[in-house]
Amino acid sequence: MNALIMALDSIQEKKGRSFLTMLGIIIGVTAVLVLVAMVSGYNADITAYYEKLGVNKVNITLTWYDRTRAVDVYDAVYTYGNETLGDMVEGVSPSATTDLPVKYRTTTLDTCTIYLGSDQFAACNNYTLEDGRDLSYYDIQQRSKVCVLGSYVADTLFPYTDPIGETVYLSGIPFTIIGTYYQKDGGAEDSMDHMISVPYSLNRELLQSADVTAITVKVDTSDHVDTVLNALDVYLAELVSSSVGEYSLENGNSAMTESTEETASMSVVLGGIASIALLVGGIGIMNIMLVTVTERTREIGIKKSIGAPRSEIITQFLVEAGILSGMGGLIGIALGFGLSLVLGKAMYDLILLPSALVTAGAFTFSVAIGIIFGIYPAVKASNLQPVDALRAD
Amino acid sequence: MSLIQLQNVYKIYGEGRENQVNALDGVSLEIDRGEFVAVIGASGSGKSTMMNILGCLDVPTYGEYYLDGVPIREKSRRELELIRSRQISFIFQGYNLIPSLKVWENVALPMLYQKIPLAQRKERAMAALEQVEILSKADSRPTQLSGGQQQRVAIARAIATGSPVLMADEPTGALDSKTGTQVLSLMKELNAGGTTVILITHDNSIAAQARRTVQVRDGHIVHDSVWDGVLVPAVGAG
Repeated sequence: MNALIMALDSIQEKKGRSFLTMLGIIIGVTAVLVLVAMVSGYNADITAYYEKLGVNKVNITLTWYDRTRAVDVYDAVYTYGNETLGDMVEGVSPSATTDLPVKYRTTTLDTCTIYLGSDQFAACNNYTLEDGRDLSYYDIQQRSKVCVLGSYVADTLFPYTDPIGETVYLSGIPFTIIGTYYQKDGGAEDSMDHMISVPYSLNRELLQSADVTAITVKVDTSDHVDTVLNALDVYLAELVSSSVGEYSLENGNSAMTESTEETASMSVVLGGIASIALLVGGIGIMNIMLVTVTERTREIGIKKSIGAPRSEIITQFLVEAGILSGMGGLIGIALGFGLSLVLGKAMYDLILLPSALVTAGAFTFSVAIGIIFGIYPAVKASNLQPVDALRAD
Repeated sequence: MSLIQLQNVYKIYGEGRENQVNALDGVSLEIDRGEFVAVIGASGSGKSTMMNILGCLDVPTYGEYYLDGVPIREKSRRELELIRSRQISFIFQGYNLIPSLKVWENVALPMLYQKIPLAQRKERAMAALEQVEILSKADSRPTQLSGGQQQRVAIARAIATGSPVLMADEPTGALDSKTGTQVLSLMKELNAGGTTVILITHDNSIAAQARRTVQVRDGHIVHDSVWDGVLVPAVGAG
């Protein structure tokens, strides 16, 4: 208690110098907190992106060596998915896209992402119908020239009128608009709302190809993804003879997992770099404590001459170092929270705060650093010969 | 058995034959309980070195120092701390009060190291301040006091500690003769109460107040006389 009061007195006596001493710790703690908060913001951003794309998918990729013997795998998977695996599968759709200009009367959108999908395209890609009707099984079978517009395309081409029933031209081919999707990604030009979906069976006209080389199977929950993937593996092994082609299966969630794992390891590296700032801050504290010991040599001598034990002297300096670094840590935490909020809002439009665990860890680490780097000066002070200490001015 | 016994003590500063200075050059001395001894000598004679060794602030290079019959050389650092805390009090020319502490806190500080509870520390500190007639300044800072007042605080600190030995190194050196006399009479009072007092000074008139005078020159004891003026040969002098 006594040591605490004396340490606070001494810090208050030299406010400017104490603040400069803390600066290293302040910067270190702030950097750690902000970096970790930013990484978590980046992760949230990535996760949100994948969620918009639609999670819980199995992606099938097909490669044919012998096109003459290619079988219609897509139809088979569609039936298998909807019937045999119907409990777990929410939709099956080819995944094929192309970029084409879209023309409505005199207005042209230069490039628009055209999805060639099945009647279950919307379910597979996380789109929701807003108006009109979606692509139907009949449209696919009949190769109807119909399309559903994403919200950006609908809002841009038809700012004041109802698009349903109107005709747009893709590659010079007229398509009747049968529906529109809700906005799902902010509705800007570079968003996922800048799209049109059409029946995949028009791939000859739009892609100049009759093959379906990629299929998306949407699964209801993440727990079922592996089950569906394994069932499809067994099913496809029979269907696709290795002499004519190859198939591969991928858990769509793994890309998200991978990228969050990547950022996790990145945050460890960044946190490590920021901790170096904390170490440097600790060395700063050690320097100042050494100066303080020199300045207070006489005081140490007086205390020793009246019987102060070594432990008393050590405690006094350790407490002071611990308080310096602890105060630095607290200021750093305040700054870290502030900066995280500001940067999080600016960069990810999220309310980002460093986690309690990281905050507690950074504080503990900063106090520990102060105490560890305070040990040398404190021991040095306590080892002074009383007579030498008293002789100092 | 004497309270304090120095046997052929050397204190050597500097290294190498040429730089070497023998601040104490084979000193032997015995002081009994309850004595009032003045150690007198010119500046550089070795008298302060002797006090530092007697006060366990420093250790002899060679020779033995027995305190209460126990050789100091065998004491651990912790035991020396305890001796400084409980057995010996100091008064210095420069007062050696801690400027950041209040007057009464300065007086009470040694008792903190004796692990005496706060209430008792304060009570004893106040009693000691009253004894040196400076109680009104208890809550002041040492820097707000005159030199004579500060020295009285230092004496109060020694009184409150209750150590059986008081060592004073030029306690009146920075004081005018009137306050110096006051300080000396306080020390005599303590001695009358049973405290062994060792007074280091260069001033013959101050030394004359002591019952016994030990004169030091060039690291040797050259005279050791008692108050009646009869010279006795110094132990080991020659």
